[in-house]
Amino acid sequence: MGAGNDPPPPFAAAVQRDGMTAFWRTHQSTLVTVFLLLPALAGFFGLFFYPMLLTVILSFRPEGHEVGWTLENYTRFLADPDGRWVILLTFILALGSTALSVLLSVPLSLILREKVRGHQFYRLMILVPLVIPGLIGALGLLLFWGSRGWFNLFLLQFMPFVQRPVAVNYTIHGLTMFYVWLYFPYTCVTTMSALESLDRSIEEAGAVSGANRWQVLRYIVLPLITPGILAGSVLTFMAAFGAFSVPLIAGGNYRPLAVEIYKQISIPIPARWSAASAIAMIMGLLQVAFLTLYMRFVRRGGGTGGPR
Amino acid sequence: MTLMKAYLRGLWEGKFILGYTLLLSLTLFIAAPFLMIALRSVGKGWFGRLWLPPQLTLDWYRWAVEVGNIPEVMKNTLIIGAIAVIVSTVIGIFAGWAFGRRQMPGKEVLMAIILLPRMIPPITYALGVAKIFYTLELVDTYLGVAMAHVSVCAPYAILVLSATFEGLDERVLEAAGVCGANTIKRFIYVVLPLILPGILASMIFSFTHSYNEFTLTLLTYGPNTVTLPIRTYLAVGDGYWEITSAMAVIMVVPSLLILAMIQRRAKPEKLVGGFKGV
Repeated sequence: MGAGNDPPPPFAAAVQRDGMTAFWRTHQSTLVTVFLLLPALAGFFGLFFYPMLLTVILSFRPEGHEVGWTLENYTRFLADPDGRWVILLTFILALGSTALSVLLSVPLSLILREKVRGHQFYRLMILVPLVIPGLIGALGLLLFWGSRGWFNLFLLQFMPFVQRPVAVNYTIHGLTMFYVWLYFPYTCVTTMSALESLDRSIEEAGAVSGANRWQVLRYIVLPLITPGILAGSVLTFMAAFGAFSVPLIAGGNYRPLAVEIYKQISIPIPARWSAASAIAMIMGLLQVAFLTLYMRFVRRGGGTGGPR
Repeated sequence: MTLMKAYLRGLWEGKFILGYTLLLSLTLFIAAPFLMIALRSVGKGWFGRLWLPPQLTLDWYRWAVEVGNIPEVMKNTLIIGAIAVIVSTVIGIFAGWAFGRRQMPGKEVLMAIILLPRMIPPITYALGVAKIFYTLELVDTYLGVAMAHVSVCAPYAILVLSATFEGLDERVLEAAGVCGANTIKRFIYVVLPLILPGILASMIFSFTHSYNEFTLTLLTYGPNTVTLPIRTYLAVGDGYWEITSAMAVIMVVPSLLILAMIQRRAKPEKLVGGFKGV
């Protein structure tokens, strides 16, 4: 391989083979490692890096052209009030559902920690939204919360002051709730594992020192599990930010970034690949930027314990 | 039933009332959509303000199988899933061994880079993947769709398998060597049983990923490679809720079976790292 740099002496083949053997002997370990990493690197470059590169290049090309450079795709999207609304909407949905997931997860994991009857069943229940396709979840939610679904039937029959069905589907709060249904397990599971790894004797020490249950919870338990909650909420945020199938069928007129990208290449003829690529780049950059900030915030002191 | 009993007992004892109310509403919150799908898929003439469908029928399943072409779609899904599982497990075994057992400079950085696809929304690189596959004419082939799935599955396989291989104790191997096992015997009788659970877990993760994958499939599928999520999405577009529900039931049963299968073995925290095609 690399040994062939010298000017080839006579009997080149034999010397080269010797060189190869020597090279192999000295670098065996490195070569094996490189060989082991080869499939992963090939996959990474072929299926992620090169596509991303192509997207970057395409986002700077004029629409439908293979040559030339322009910033028009970015400026058009960012200057458009609709475009800015799409970005804002994506953040509202992602942050709203993340916050709600945290609000739901903390009490839930506090209850399930007490090993109540059937707690294993509930634990399994929490995992269900993780393993089913988002599409199916969205479908069921649309059916349940729709104007003919059980939710509205219940309201109409048992709540005397409700006269007409309450609109949940295709509204922004409905969509946020659908996101919570689909993505809260990420937060919940991490919160639960953080709670379970918590040493009970710390709480007992607090209680012995005269703190009541609320104070123990507020000043001891919550600060200690905050890193776990934050780590889980990052996962929820990432899933909600990149959500595609759910807003695609349950979003109605609310189209977050992922759906907007898909619309660019599915509705207009010919497909607007450059515009889609520009939006995709904006989306990717926003997510990376937000995650970096978030991680920094978490490291800085999102909790007394700090992440390991 | 146990649920109701537990709830009543909780009420009786006056403890955890709040807790049980929360748990019960959570159960309802999560289970209700499935109930609705299941009922919708067997109900007939279910209009207006009715809690339950007045007539039961299996017609929608027949329609789903005949019109929706479910057997063909299922075949596509399984073939694509199998290819994706094989490719990503091979990638995972090689890279996992390198990350878990071998010394190399800059391991953390390299791992972070290879796992980068998990940080970026799939739709962003799905665009590029689709564009490349169009030029390579891989769109609408089993291999093409499966390779698109690999971009999602492989990082998880690498993650799971490097943890597995890292946990492999060197001393056990040495002990086997001292007891007179040669390399092949050592591999078959010692190493393999130890790493097999990890490999199986990674395969299940990869398969579930591929089975649920929607974004990348939507951008690379064609008439010959319609998978179950795509078929369901197309049916939603057609607006036949009953048939769509029947398809959804057909699709969701294997997922729930897999969950029931692995829930005793795998820790839930591990699941969080995996799954979901978004």
